[in-house]
Amino acid sequence: MIPATYRASFSYLLRHPWQLALSVIGIAVGVAVIVAVDLANASARKAFLLSMDTITGEATHQVIGGPSGVSENTYARLRVEYGVRAIAPVVEGMISVDGTSLTLLGVDLFAEQDIRSFTSQAQSADPAAPSDETLFSSFLITPGVVTTSARTAEQLGLAVGDTFDVVADGRSRQAELLATLASDASNNPDFLLVTDIATAQEWLGQAGWLSRIDVRVDDGNEAALDQLRAALPDGTKLLSAAGRTRSTVEMSKAFMTNLTAMSLLALLVGLFLIFNSVNFSVLQRRNLIGVLRALGLTRRQLLAMILIEAGVLGALAALLGVGLGIALGEHLLELVSRTINDLYFRVSVTSISVEPFSVVKGIVAGIGVALVAAAVPAIEATSYQPRLALTRSSLEHRARRALPTVTGIGVVIMAAAVLLIVVSGANLVAGLAAVFLLILGFALCVPLCVSFSSTLTAPLAQKLGGTIARMAVAGIASGLSRTGVAIVALAVAVAATIGVSVMVDSFRGSVSAWLDKTLQADVYTGALRGAMDPDLIDAIRNLEGVEDISTRKRAWVEDASGRTQLRVFDIPPEDFGGAELLDADPAEAWPAWQARDAVFISEPFAYQKSIGAGDSLTLPTDHGPREFAVAATFQSYDINASGVMMSRKTYARHYLDDTIDSLGLYLANGIEADDIVAQVENLSAGQQRLYVGSNANLQRESMRIFDRTFVITDVLYWLTLGVAFIGILSAMLALQLERAREFATLRALGMTPTQVGVMITAQTGIIGLLSGLASLPLGVVMAFVLIKVINRRAFGWQIDMSIAPSILAMSVAFAVGAALLAGLYPAYRAGQSQPAIAMREE
Amino acid sequence: MSETSNEIELRGLCRRFREGEREQVVLDGIDLDVRRGETVALRGRSGSGKSTLLNLIGGIDAPDAGSVTVAKMELTGLSERERTLFRRKHIGFVYQSFNLVPTLNVADNVRLVLELNNVPAFQGSTRIDELLDAVGLADRMESYPDVLSGGEQQRVAIARALAHEPAVLLADEPTGNLDDATAEAVLGLLDKLVRDSSHTMLIATHSQHIALRCDRVLELHNGRLRETTSRPQ
Amino acid sequence: MRHLLIGLAAFVGTTISLADEGEAPSQLADLLGAAADAGFARALEPREFVFPADHGPHPEFRNEWWYVTGNLDDEDGKRFGFELTIFRFALAPSVAESTSRWRTENVYISHLAITHVEDERFYVAQRYSRGALGLAGAQAAPFRVWIDDWSIAKRPDSDAWQLTASDGDFGIDVELRALQPPILNGIDGLSKKSAEPGNASYYYSITRLGTRGTIRIGEREYTVSGLSWLDREWSTSALAAEQVGWDWFALQLSDGSDLMFYSLRKKDGTQHAASAGTFLATNPNSSHLDADDVEITVLDTWRSPGGGAYPSKWRLAVPRFGLDLTVEPVIPDQELFTTVRYWEGAVDVDGTHDGAAISGRGYVELAGYAQ
Repeated sequence: MIPATYRASFSYLLRHPWQLALSVIGIAVGVAVIVAVDLANASARKAFLLSMDTITGEATHQVIGGPSGVSENTYARLRVEYGVRAIAPVVEGMISVDGTSLTLLGVDLFAEQDIRSFTSQAQSADPAAPSDETLFSSFLITPGVVTTSARTAEQLGLAVGDTFDVVADGRSRQAELLATLASDASNNPDFLLVTDIATAQEWLGQAGWLSRIDVRVDDGNEAALDQLRAALPDGTKLLSAAGRTRSTVEMSKAFMTNLTAMSLLALLVGLFLIFNSVNFSVLQRRNLIGVLRALGLTRRQLLAMILIEAGVLGALAALLGVGLGIALGEHLLELVSRTINDLYFRVSVTSISVEPFSVVKGIVAGIGVALVAAAVPAIEATSYQPRLALTRSSLEHRARRALPTVTGIGVVIMAAAVLLIVVSGANLVAGLAAVFLLILGFALCVPLCVSFSSTLTAPLAQKLGGTIARMAVAGIASGLSRTGVAIVALAVAVAATIGVSVMVDSFRGSVSAWLDKTLQADVYTGALRGAMDPDLIDAIRNLEGVEDISTRKRAWVEDASGRTQLRVFDIPPEDFGGAELLDADPAEAWPAWQARDAVFISEPFAYQKSIGAGDSLTLPTDHGPREFAVAATFQSYDINASGVMMSRKTYARHYLDDTIDSLGLYLANGIEADDIVAQVENLSAGQQRLYVGSNANLQRESMRIFDRTFVITDVLYWLTLGVAFIGILSAMLALQLERAREFATLRALGMTPTQVGVMITAQTGIIGLLSGLASLPLGVVMAFVLIKVINRRAFGWQIDMSIAPSILAMSVAFAVGAALLAGLYPAYRAGQSQPAIAMREE
Repeated sequence: MSETSNEIELRGLCRRFREGEREQVVLDGIDLDVRRGETVALRGRSGSGKSTLLNLIGGIDAPDAGSVTVAKMELTGLSERERTLFRRKHIGFVYQSFNLVPTLNVADNVRLVLELNNVPAFQGSTRIDELLDAVGLADRMESYPDVLSGGEQQRVAIARALAHEPAVLLADEPTGNLDDATAEAVLGLLDKLVRDSSHTMLIATHSQHIALRCDRVLELHNGRLRETTSRPQ
Repeated sequence: MRHLLIGLAAFVGTTISLADEGEAPSQLADLLGAAADAGFARALEPREFVFPADHGPHPEFRNEWWYVTGNLDDEDGKRFGFELTIFRFALAPSVAESTSRWRTENVYISHLAITHVEDERFYVAQRYSRGALGLAGAQAAPFRVWIDDWSIAKRPDSDAWQLTASDGDFGIDVELRALQPPILNGIDGLSKKSAEPGNASYYYSITRLGTRGTIRIGEREYTVSGLSWLDREWSTSALAAEQVGWDWFALQLSDGSDLMFYSLRKKDGTQHAASAGTFLATNPNSSHLDADDVEITVLDTWRSPGGGAYPSKWRLAVPRFGLDLTVEPVIPDQELFTTVRYWEGAVDVDGTHDGAAISGRGYVELAGYAQ
């Protein structure tokens, strides 16, 4: 049996279903946002690790080579001459089927059982399926035969026995699905096409080369490793498999950290919302609390009652939020994994994996904040001497009196944020912490700003719109104990939007200017993946109208310290302007780069390694590690911080690789780029599929990818704003409930429902406006910190900050719009106030 | 005085409320004429329908049967909006719990009513000064309701109720929340102002004391109106 | 669940279960006999054998093997048996042209077994690989057949061969020197496995190879010497539908004569008429043995701990040549649990030849018993 006091309290909530619903929705949405972002992140990471683990199998180490890979002869020699067992050759690459990109894993079945068992585990098929020996024999001798997981087969719409087209190395190939592979908790061959190593070499144009050799060595068997190392030729390296996975994941760390930061921002706004919702529901029962106190309930009993209620409500809503969060997470995951795919590595996530930790985090946040949000007003409400009514105006007085203190704390916190940025060097996490301190500090200052500005503007409103307008404005400051938190939530959300929008916009501007400068050729063409057909290159070079060409090649080299991207260029001197050298005289740096063993390094790389012009850099080459002089640092916005620019001549001296993956074409005067584009398309048709685009096209395409990358950011901020919107809605509804008598009086005095509605709408609109205006300084400061601190620390980019007034205007307009929208229903409700209520006694 | 000088005319006024299955007849055929400038006390026990009657006269509520004519306007059949506009122009309210707008200061609380009646600002200001002077709060114009005592608040409410020169002033237990001394002062003020400007006033009250100040005293009992006593002219 | 590699077993010479879901075991006959591909050459007529060329591979045929077994003793008289078999199986007559050197139709499988008689231990290891990229292969000149680092190859310094194979626990590294020229089994080397034309192999042996070198068991290395036997056979089909397996005897007798006989077994357990052998008396002429020439009586059986029972002692009588022999494994358990299960082990021989007591050693292979 629930005690009557509890029922008295709870039935209040039940009799105000809107209030109850908004409290629950508020908490649930807050929790959902936290859980969703966290799950999406964790799932993407987990899926990536699982697919890495699947591909790595039992391999403890991997033998890797230079840009071309490891010679297959090295593998044969290891087995035949050195008698090394438990090694397996791998030819791996990306291919696409109907636009879906998949990892092609070329294996030698005979070597697989020591490394990967799943590659030879076909799922039991129907009895009509071919016998094992047919499967085995087909896998080995039939070109184009592949296996994949049942799920991936289903997604591609393939049944066993189907033939389908695969685009590999720019060429269309025919594949046949031989069987589906079994998958389990430790092996997930989703988005993986397993094929014989011969097919993989044929498709990927890697005849003679392996991507790597997987090695399995018993733990601690250093002798075996030493023996292996001794047997390896120069230019090949034996690296720990776990270390390689780690450094791959490491590449995306900055992105993941930023994503987590965004989830924290959502959390913060979510917390405001939860606080907001619970806070009201307690505040509104202060009369009831007074009555219960008068009836003899102790403070402790009352507190317990309120906290239990908040806890129960928080728990229920949090559970709801977790459900919502999982659903939302599914959608976010798609965006997260798409961005990771665009920028870093192939991650194949088909469904969210529910991490207990993320769920617990969300539930704890929901219940915890609900408790705190209930405790603050509950302690306050129970601290008075019992009496029947504590008028709201005196409550407002207390709230207003607390303003200077709260604001002072806010200023101190903001100062701490600035200090943290100054002292934390290049630490990304500290930078993010500073952003949050900044937001928190600012949030505490918002109520005073709003109160102050509404007091200031009240006379103005009077002048413009008369007493009704004055009431609307004055109502904001006087309702601060109710509206304050909602205003803060909206202001923070809008500030975050401004910060991120300005950051993205500045970034976009910098990237666009950089592209404009970097892309100097008139037409670009290249292989979609892998190398260009040399015959095709010759044919393109000989096209009429093509005066000169530059060649490029992106190659990865790797050693124990991680992977480094080499950008190999053979460019005519007139293209030298394309790279903006930041710390060296181009007149000296370029000749050195062309002729001697000197390289340029990208700015993010320089930032990460703390090196620059005049320093030296050791890179693994096909002849072992070599030292290169750093001739200059160049500006770059490439996501891969590890850019080293090398001339073709230098590259040729150190790497056994003469492949080219793209060309820049310089056209004679008067030649239309589009004509050449068409001609190159003709040449490549039927041979190797190339991308071809004019300079303008390429810039457009680059910007499109850029924009796509930030879709996830947009989504998160819409969520944040959604949360803030709900905050305003529930605040206004609560206020409307409290001011029922006031509205009834106004109605009795002869205000029409429309007049009351307009007044409330004006009020929410002004709340939006004030929030929007208040958010401007924080938004700009946030943008500054995001650009100069966070992006610099995360990616090493130097971005020029530019504030487009339109962003600021849009953000304020958005705040007003959101608030107006949120105010519509409360305004309608207020308009419907029955004037008769004014007669009733409380 | 002729029939036409009646400020309030009620004919066969009925009002019922449903409460679940039960129907409660609150007003059961009320006939009443109140002349212009007359002050009438309305007595009755709690729940006898005093507030309902005031709401019907003020156009806040509509009757189930019968007619209400106030300031020569037949309210029956008016739309909600028309009744609101009628109320705005012709009715002044004084409540037991004052019901000042907490976000407006004393002057603005009065000004609100003037603005609703489109009184030009300069005229309005003069009127506010007069009224607040009359209720003795000329020095509290800038104060907000929450710093005023109950008596002061009710005086502001009276000023507000009279600001637009309504035809009828409706007061519902105007001293119910005040101590005796304050109540006496407020009542005196109300009486004076109403009589000075020849307003018609209907006061719902328990108080014998108030009733004695009125021209007529009516008692509401079982949904019917009974004239108990007339103040000697 | 199906294991692609299990498919490999289908190409190896014995009866196996293809899948582990309880379907009736397919017979090797179905696989090797019936499924023989039209694109392969077949053993139809006797051919001329040319050495050393014929030591090398015959890729136009589907299957081929190099089979070396031997009985060795160390200096202290410790006795060892060994078997190193390298099989070549072509999955198809040819494969599509490819830029990849990995593309091949040839699969190599090798089994290594060493019997340590004193310890009654039997060591087995298996290798498989594709015949590409030098990972595994066979060549005639200079002779070499290998898979990973296991090989039988002509020594650079002489006509002798070196046999090297080693796994973690054990290994063998011996020189093989032919003491006899190759002898052709069947009719001039055409060994018919059934009445059906083409269901035959080309088959020769070197029955005595002087062997010396080392055997390693764990950390210990034994210097060993003795006699080995080489069996070489290639074909496109080997078993008829009704055949389920075989018993193969390769015996080196103390009077210098050698006996090879394979008994093809039918489903009902009786001997198939195509069973045959070769008797090589001390004079250099060999004599073909028909099924009727040899009487085999099983004297004992051994139950494998892995299931199934193998004959484990025989009486072999060849009245035509006055041979009456008892053949008994040196230790009972010499079963190979490789992709394909079979028994192959060193044996002792006792008996009489034209009344005179003789002894001998040899190897016996028992295929198609374990399922």
